[in-house]
Amino acid sequence: MPNYWRKVFLVYHKDIRDEFRTFDNLLATLIFGAMLVFIFSFAFQLVELQSQQAFPAVLWVSVFFSSMLAIQRSFAKEKDNGSLDALLLATGDRGIIFLAKFLCNFTVLVVFELVVVPLLWMFIGVNTVGSFDIALFIASLVLGSWGLAAIGTMLNGITIQVPSARLLFPILMFPLLIPLLIGVILCSHAALVGDRASVLGWLYALLAFDLLFTLVPLVLFDYVLEG
Amino acid sequence: MKQIRSSILFWVLVVLLPLNIYIIFDYAPVEKTMGIVQKVFYFHVASAWIGLLAFVVVFVSSIWYLWRRHHRINNVALASAEIGTIFISCTLLTGPLWAYPIWNTWWTWDPRLTTTLVLWFMYVAYIALQGGGATESRKRLAAVYGIIAFINVPLVFFSARWWRSIHPIVVSEEGIGLAPKMRIAMFVSLATFSLLYAYLLHLRVKTLELQERIKMLRAEAGR
Repeated sequence: MPNYWRKVFLVYHKDIRDEFRTFDNLLATLIFGAMLVFIFSFAFQLVELQSQQAFPAVLWVSVFFSSMLAIQRSFAKEKDNGSLDALLLATGDRGIIFLAKFLCNFTVLVVFELVVVPLLWMFIGVNTVGSFDIALFIASLVLGSWGLAAIGTMLNGITIQVPSARLLFPILMFPLLIPLLIGVILCSHAALVGDRASVLGWLYALLAFDLLFTLVPLVLFDYVLEG
Repeated sequence: MKQIRSSILFWVLVVLLPLNIYIIFDYAPVEKTMGIVQKVFYFHVASAWIGLLAFVVVFVSSIWYLWRRHHRINNVALASAEIGTIFISCTLLTGPLWAYPIWNTWWTWDPRLTTTLVLWFMYVAYIALQGGGATESRKRLAAVYGIIAFINVPLVFFSARWWRSIHPIVVSEEGIGLAPKMRIAMFVSLATFSLLYAYLLHLRVKTLELQERIKMLRAEAGR
């Protein structure tokens, strides 16, 4: 068992190093995210919509769309470099590859949020009157990124195998994210108004959703990366 | 034998489809408050039922395909997804027709509406994944997606329900909230649509098989 986790760590380490060394993908994701939050907050301002109310929605829609860019490379680069077979041989277990890629995508999403959340906060000019629940807000970010990374990693493994299906990635992914979308937006909103009690159930539901979509791909990944 | 079975099904449908229309429009009474608009209910519910049934078939045959790798099973899954998409589209189109006069809005984010829409998106994504020329890997990957998408359906439903609900609940634990004649009309509708689904599925699977055969023969002739 320690050997299993060591392999996960090694693949994760390789991917993270690659992600931060090549940097262009991460940079493109960050800039795309910044652009999205800029356009959203600007569009709301133009007609003087109450954009503070829209903060959770704008935040998560931006994160969801940007995650397409963030995640789409995780298997594509292996495929393009012809290193997928080597990776399969080296680890011997497809679950290891899934976990490592999932952790890498999760890390990238967290880095992305560290940049985009303050930006959006600034653009929209969120005004919390002392009731802001930062622990709940961070919890919603972590649970949201976890689910997003898990589902995204799984579907990226699917779409890279069919040359013409790479464009299908968001089409396959977004319907699966709907329960997550409802949960994280309600939690982020509750964090802003400092109403933790009303979303406690949602936190457990999100946790269960994330665990489910981490465990199910672990089982099915043998079929995804076959042959 | 198979030929005979499918032609029996065909003739049963030839009788049942007009009969169903008759029962819906003449036998079942006109609803007191909603009026004639309520007739759409029989099509709406039956299509929704077929949409769900077709999705269960996709799920079961996806698992079966990953397990046994029979091409036939994959054809059943694909055909079922295609037919399901059409019926779900009918549900999504007939719903607003009823909702506008009754709820005074075309659309609302009720759990069942939300789930049906998400179901429609997942069906379309599934069909797109299988694509035109289905290779072995496409079939395998679509099967994986078919399983995950099915798991997602109850999750969407319950998360949306937790959030809000206004859709009328016709069938509840206390029984069915329908006049007896309406109940008969609903069951005849459900039965007719189910048989129609079975027949369409049979036809589509046969077409897919013939397509594969033509491709094989072409490849052979080319060699």
